[in-house]
Amino acid sequence: MTSVRSMQLRRYEGGFFVPRVTIDGIEVNVPRESTILEAAHKAGIWIPALCYNPAVTNTANCRLCLVELQRGERGKLVTSCNYPVRNDITVSVSGERAQRARKGVMELLLARAPESGELKELALRMGVEGTPYPTVTEAQRNCILCGLCIRVCEEVIGCSAIGFAGRGVDRSVTTPFMLASEDCIACGACAMVCPVGTIQIRIHEDTGEAEISPFKSRAKLLICEECGKQLVTEPVAFKVDGRVHIDWDEFKQRARLCPECRRKRTAQSLALVESKKS
Amino acid sequence: MPVAVDRLIKNPSDLENYRKKLKGEVNPAVKRVRVCIGTACAAKGSRRLYELFRAAADESGADVEIEAKSVGCHGLCERGPIVVVEPGDILYQSVEEPDVAEIFRETVLGGKVVDRLLYEDPSSGKKAKSEKQIPFYQVQKRIVLAENGRIDPTSIDDYIRSGGYTALEKTLSTMTPEDVIIEVEKSGLRGRGGGGFPTARKWRSCREAEGNQKYVICNGDEGDPGAFMDRSIMEGNPHSVLEGLIIGSYAIGATQGYIYVRNEYPLAVEHLKNAIGQAQEYGFLGENILDSGHSFDIRINRGGGAFVCGESTALIASLEGRTGEPRAKYVHTVEHGLRDLPTNLNNVETWANIPAIINNGGEWLAQIGTEKSKGTKVFSLVGKIVNTGLVEVPMGITLRDIVYNIGGGVQNGKAFKAVQTGGPSGGCIPAKFLDAGVDFDELTKLGSMMGSGGMIIMDEDTCVVNFAKYYINFLRQESCGKCTPCREGIPQVLHILERITHGEGEEGDIEKLETLAQLLADGSLCALGSTAANPVISTIRYFRDEYETHIRDQRCPAKECRGLFAFEIIPDQCKGCGICIKKCPVDAITGERRLPHLINQDICTKCGTCYDKCPFDAIAKV
Repeated sequence: MTSVRSMQLRRYEGGFFVPRVTIDGIEVNVPRESTILEAAHKAGIWIPALCYNPAVTNTANCRLCLVELQRGERGKLVTSCNYPVRNDITVSVSGERAQRARKGVMELLLARAPESGELKELALRMGVEGTPYPTVTEAQRNCILCGLCIRVCEEVIGCSAIGFAGRGVDRSVTTPFMLASEDCIACGACAMVCPVGTIQIRIHEDTGEAEISPFKSRAKLLICEECGKQLVTEPVAFKVDGRVHIDWDEFKQRARLCPECRRKRTAQSLALVESKKS
Repeated sequence: MPVAVDRLIKNPSDLENYRKKLKGEVNPAVKRVRVCIGTACAAKGSRRLYELFRAAADESGADVEIEAKSVGCHGLCERGPIVVVEPGDILYQSVEEPDVAEIFRETVLGGKVVDRLLYEDPSSGKKAKSEKQIPFYQVQKRIVLAENGRIDPTSIDDYIRSGGYTALEKTLSTMTPEDVIIEVEKSGLRGRGGGGFPTARKWRSCREAEGNQKYVICNGDEGDPGAFMDRSIMEGNPHSVLEGLIIGSYAIGATQGYIYVRNEYPLAVEHLKNAIGQAQEYGFLGENILDSGHSFDIRINRGGGAFVCGESTALIASLEGRTGEPRAKYVHTVEHGLRDLPTNLNNVETWANIPAIINNGGEWLAQIGTEKSKGTKVFSLVGKIVNTGLVEVPMGITLRDIVYNIGGGVQNGKAFKAVQTGGPSGGCIPAKFLDAGVDFDELTKLGSMMGSGGMIIMDEDTCVVNFAKYYINFLRQESCGKCTPCREGIPQVLHILERITHGEGEEGDIEKLETLAQLLADGSLCALGSTAANPVISTIRYFRDEYETHIRDQRCPAKECRGLFAFEIIPDQCKGCGICIKKCPVDAITGERRLPHLINQDICTKCGTCYDKCPFDAIAKV
């Protein structure tokens, strides 16, 4: 009986079943295989997430986006960034258990990266004021090992200049043999996605180079032939060359945009990374 | 395409004839010496014993035929090397090189028993002539280990002679894949790797998953400290694992199998490699096995020694050549496993159970065990136990039976304190639950788990806090570092435990440990992290007072945590020899010669040197 009834309640769109997600009492319908995080966006509910970026694959390793999936008597904590919605589900974001788990994860991260302003800011937004834990892991201070930089470098930029080295507490993000990488084009995508501000772009005025810190990789900056202003690095310009296909209609249309909007449109068409601030 | 080699056994009748031929070759008058070459016995020099017996057999010139045979682990590793002489199945234990000549002369040629090498029951003092008379074996029920210690693991003929590959023949000639799954379902077999997932259900999901290519994997990455069940099966009877895999591949529809075995098991790798070569040569692997139309082959992959690679998704990542890290479980491996294709992964022991199930029927296995845990389970019994070794017992047997009747009780007559089951993911079970039946659900109820089958016995001198710390330290080293709770949480747990065992514990530490444990259980990506706190949580649950004594009184009740107990000289036992005075690095001991000495507790650093050096056991921990 129940199965027949639930069949009748199922919602279909264009022949596909559309599951309904109830998040903290708000109901939204999302396409099958959407993530809980996507459903939460739709419902206007904020869930903190650090290692998540729609431009790259999900690894669900920071565990900050834990929510409680209500099933039967006792719920189950799942990572909202990669849990696929396949059926109608009820999710609790603000429930005590989910909040406690997210707070616990944040406290551990604060102990690892105590000097990151970005992390503290996010912690405050979550209502976490500090950490009861001492810093016990020493390798690569202030990096929370979310791996976004690595995924961006590999999947979006196509360089794979950095990767994880070591295991467990000794894990770190580094270039091969911790030397300046020849594969790095110093594009700065890693610095842009880094949620805790550990990766920085440093401009060396004396040599006209950009350095990606802490990886020590450097590349020469391209200089505007007219005014001498520094542009992107030379390898980036070279790489972009191969990616840009000039479409004259598109070009004409863009000519009607202001420089600011034109730049945005260009960046979007290059399928680069979504801004972390979005 | 490789050229089709002429295989020895092309169809079921070939196998039948070949087995008849092998059985016909057995001369009942032959005297046989079986030497265990399992890792434990080999470590005590059994390979040399085997060579000596062979040389003796070759040179004897006696009328009777004598055969020396190397066999897999018997299980009674504590008493190794083990040598069994047929006829009579006379079991000799702790055999050393000089004993070979005597055994050969007296028993093999003379038919007499060498009394001094027999097993002696510590409680009754009675000597046991064969396995059957030793209590260690009497309580066991051996299905997976049945042929261990009997057959030569490097000989496929030995396996065939003892009925090997009959299950495969039965499967391929009389059963449909669905029949096989139904039979496994009837047996109630649950995954022996620790999770206890119903095997048949996993097989069916994989069978029904979409994909032209499917894989079966045998997980031989046994990494728990103190566990060696799978190793002994792979070393002692590798063909049983292969046969299980081939039957499984037929049921699931897989054409390629992998055995992932840790490289720290060189003998297991060697025996498996050898077995795969033989099975290919005989025609049990390859194209059109036994003329059934089913094709299947197996490859060995050697693991690099990461504990986390025993986790199914990490193992698959490692097989693919990537870093051995687990991934989210929302996508099942039976649908998207190795190379994103349907993959069925089972543990060594699970696979080794399959031939027996097919031969005897699912109902037969279902008669053994408890309501929800059927069959037997192999445990490796280690720690402060008299009979260290490998045991196979029916599910539902009590812990007391395992510890006392099979294990022979706690070493040196000490009191039993607890048993850790399930390795680093499990928990410890105290003496008051010794009468609990051992099965998947009962152990989980007690806050531990079945795990893959390691059983570590603790005696009264074992400090539970220190014990938990050992496991947490192990996991800290073995965590892959992918997810935050495991990577950051375990070191925090270790940090607190270290403070406690150094006498720097604070009020609230236990609660902190509990909070971290909950976070690990709730938030970790894989089972390594989510079960990591079990050793801590179970010891807090049953021995909270010991934690509190450490924290409040800076005292270790088991007197194991250095600095949390004092050394004192027992005046009656002290002979005044002066050794401790000489050895004490801080000159804390004073006393006249031939008069009882005294330790100045204000100077003593509690290093324990005097305790170790005293020849009269006159120094006590208080």
